[in-house]
Amino acid sequence: MENDGEESASPPTRERNVLLLDLSKSMFAPLPDPETGGPEHQKIEVARTAVFRILQDAATSGHLFGLVTFTETVRVPVPLGDIHRENLPYIENLISLLTPSGRSAIWDAIGVGADLLRMGTQGVQGNLVLVTDGWDNASSRFDVRSDPAAKVPNGRVDLVPYVLPAHSRLTVRIIGIGSGDERDKGVDTGRMNQFVTQMAQRAQELGLPPAFSFQLVTTGSQLFAQMVNAFVDVGYEDDRPIEELHPEELARHAANAARALKEPQQHATVARIRDAQSLTKGGDSPSYAEAPEMEVDFLATGPGGPPAYLKERYGPLGEVVAAYLSGQLDHALELIQRTQGFLPAVTRLYWEARIQYARRAVVEAARALLQAWAEAEKLPPATQAPILRRLAVLQARMQNDKETETLVRFIDDTEHHLVHGDPKVRERLMDLFAKLMELRGTYQLTRLAGEGDLQDAAIKHEAAVEEVFSLLQDARLDLASQGPTVEGALDFIEICLAEMR
Amino acid sequence: MPEVKVTTRRRSTGKRETKPSADTTRIAVVGIPASGKTTYFRFLSGHFGLNLPILYIPSRAENGSLPLFGDLENDVALEETTYETTDPTDPEGSLETTTRYYVNRPMEDRRKLWVELSAGRDEQGILTKYPLPTKFNQFVEMKMRFRYAAPEGEAGSRPMELQTVDEAGGIIADYFTYDRIWLDTPEGEVTEKTCRVIPHFDSWRPDRRDLWKRGLTLLGRFVCGADAIILLLSPGLPSLRDQAQQVNLARGVFRYTRTRDLPLVIAVSKADKLKEFYGEVEQSVRERTYRSTFDTTDFLLRRDGAGMGTILVAQEGRGISTKEDVFLISSAVSTGEGHPLFIGETGEEAPNSGTVTMGVPVMVNTTLPLARACERILERRATKGA
Repeated sequence: MENDGEESASPPTRERNVLLLDLSKSMFAPLPDPETGGPEHQKIEVARTAVFRILQDAATSGHLFGLVTFTETVRVPVPLGDIHRENLPYIENLISLLTPSGRSAIWDAIGVGADLLRMGTQGVQGNLVLVTDGWDNASSRFDVRSDPAAKVPNGRVDLVPYVLPAHSRLTVRIIGIGSGDERDKGVDTGRMNQFVTQMAQRAQELGLPPAFSFQLVTTGSQLFAQMVNAFVDVGYEDDRPIEELHPEELARHAANAARALKEPQQHATVARIRDAQSLTKGGDSPSYAEAPEMEVDFLATGPGGPPAYLKERYGPLGEVVAAYLSGQLDHALELIQRTQGFLPAVTRLYWEARIQYARRAVVEAARALLQAWAEAEKLPPATQAPILRRLAVLQARMQNDKETETLVRFIDDTEHHLVHGDPKVRERLMDLFAKLMELRGTYQLTRLAGEGDLQDAAIKHEAAVEEVFSLLQDARLDLASQGPTVEGALDFIEICLAEMR
Repeated sequence: MPEVKVTTRRRSTGKRETKPSADTTRIAVVGIPASGKTTYFRFLSGHFGLNLPILYIPSRAENGSLPLFGDLENDVALEETTYETTDPTDPEGSLETTTRYYVNRPMEDRRKLWVELSAGRDEQGILTKYPLPTKFNQFVEMKMRFRYAAPEGEAGSRPMELQTVDEAGGIIADYFTYDRIWLDTPEGEVTEKTCRVIPHFDSWRPDRRDLWKRGLTLLGRFVCGADAIILLLSPGLPSLRDQAQQVNLARGVFRYTRTRDLPLVIAVSKADKLKEFYGEVEQSVRERTYRSTFDTTDFLLRRDGAGMGTILVAQEGRGISTKEDVFLISSAVSTGEGHPLFIGETGEEAPNSGTVTMGVPVMVNTTLPLARACERILERRATKGA
């Protein structure tokens, strides 16, 4: 079995996640959704979304990921290891083909999952997430004691000490689908609680931190709410990738964008972007936010149609986006309005605004976007900046403010293109963009200064430009041959600087 | 007979016909592609060799005379050396040079020299202007020799030399724009590594990269030894990229001259393209007694006449005086349709026959930046000496 090459005595340096997915026949059953009145989803659909989310996260963050599926047989379709972005479509395809059948060997699956995370004398290191809707009715190797004094049946191994040997650092999260008050209608709540309790006791005995939870979800909305904490956006029909721009077009874009920096009164939206940019730089200490970090994705759409597995990846939000992209705007609006309560408010309001704008309902669109701005203000800085940019692009389109749209889109596209590249390169370019934005202030002073102060203001502005230009030159030297996105961004900044005069 | 001499020789052979004396003062002329460097050199040479008329607008108080003159008895006025790589793939980079010398003695038929000097690019055998340099394997070093100050003055006149790397506005723009390339010694060499500061340098053809590096080195060495710089700015560039290139060059030249305490003079070339200014020129040609009250400083600073925005304002008093060191010039005033505006013997506008036009072209303020640069060099020397 492939492992991550971190089998040494030292603890792992990267996060290790193994997802255990129930593929028993009962996963075909529908999961009701009375809260939203929306269409019922099969349990397997929501379970697939869970896998897509975790996979996506692993590919983005560089965490190690493994997938274990189980019926009465336990399989390892994805061994623990790196998820390379280029392999993602194959794995996603594989997941979409997973078809439920047979019974559930839950304990055996947990045992295999623990084996994937086992690191010699370090015990079991990593995170196990179990998604199941059933009762264990097929395990042959492992069992869980029915009470602490009892023993496991002959020929079986006690799962708890096997999963949690000394020196381990393991978290187990169980997502139980459907109420298990009645056998075969949902998860076996009693047995799951026994397992979690025994794991906690074992951890206490070994002096390990208890990190075991069991969560019961009975509706599709609840499950999606736990899984899809995301802001997703797609480009507009007339967007052109920055790599396709002719140098003269790039220059025109940059000159347009510079106008947004030079005329703040006419381009008020830009001010919100600058603030967000500086916020991400952070102060002495990172700001604390109660809400879990939101995933922000920009999905490329092309001539081949909408991105693959939209619904599987993003659940109901994916359905909204798919409906929007296929031009079913009324249906998309209906769907987005049903997501209240489980989609992040900023995501819901943004999509409402976007759909309304596409329907030419300008007043409704403006109202929703205004609320989205307010919601975005509550977000932690790291997620706030890219979301504010997407709001700004929509706002600029609604106001027919081409200059702001060009500026914000260029920054956003650059970051998006570099999201899977070297984070230092991305950070450096975003820093340069931030510095470019700051020139608004010094430039503005040259416009406002009276005759006597004009020279002072001009000198300060030119000094600021010189500083940014110096950083730009260093970036040119350090980032030579980093590809068209980086070079395009540097060209764009250079021309913007020339325009700031 | 035309007094134009052309010789061709390999780099390692032959001997130059003239050499500047050791105490020659050198002024570098810089500008982006098509900023008017070639025209500036050729028309000034015409002035030194043929006494082409110059208008000063607004008129100079002191009868329009400037202590600038050619020394045709002893020296050539203009020397152009074309550097061409005969085989771009040759690692030794064998350079062949072709040197043309203009006007090394008074002309019998002055018009013939004028025709040669004012020949267009096609007539000179230069087929294209873009992409720059004109040819990937060629650039031209231009030198113009003249003397400054009255020959009978107390200290006599001084030999001066105006230099540029012609057909290489792109090289000039890159050199000054990116200070990471700057050379600190006349023996320095621009490296491949520092050249990467130039956008997309790595993606260029190897022979172009090599020629660019050579050109940057040549330019770097010669501006290292320059006593002053004249920056040519072209107004009204249609391309945004060209505008950005010019602004970046200007900012770079300001940085360069400031850090090296070099005199800088700015000439806004092709000023006849500026409508307001052209109106003054036209009136001056028609009415010899017309005294222009055109306020150049106001036009440049407050009405952004040079397209430099607040840049010129920021430089005021930091190495230049916008009142004294910035000029609007035109080396051959056009009629607004691309044809030079000629004046006949009587001072009236000569009709443009479409073939060889009698009369001489009008230059506006052309010698002023040069005279000012000389003046500042001497002032600086006097201050340093003191």
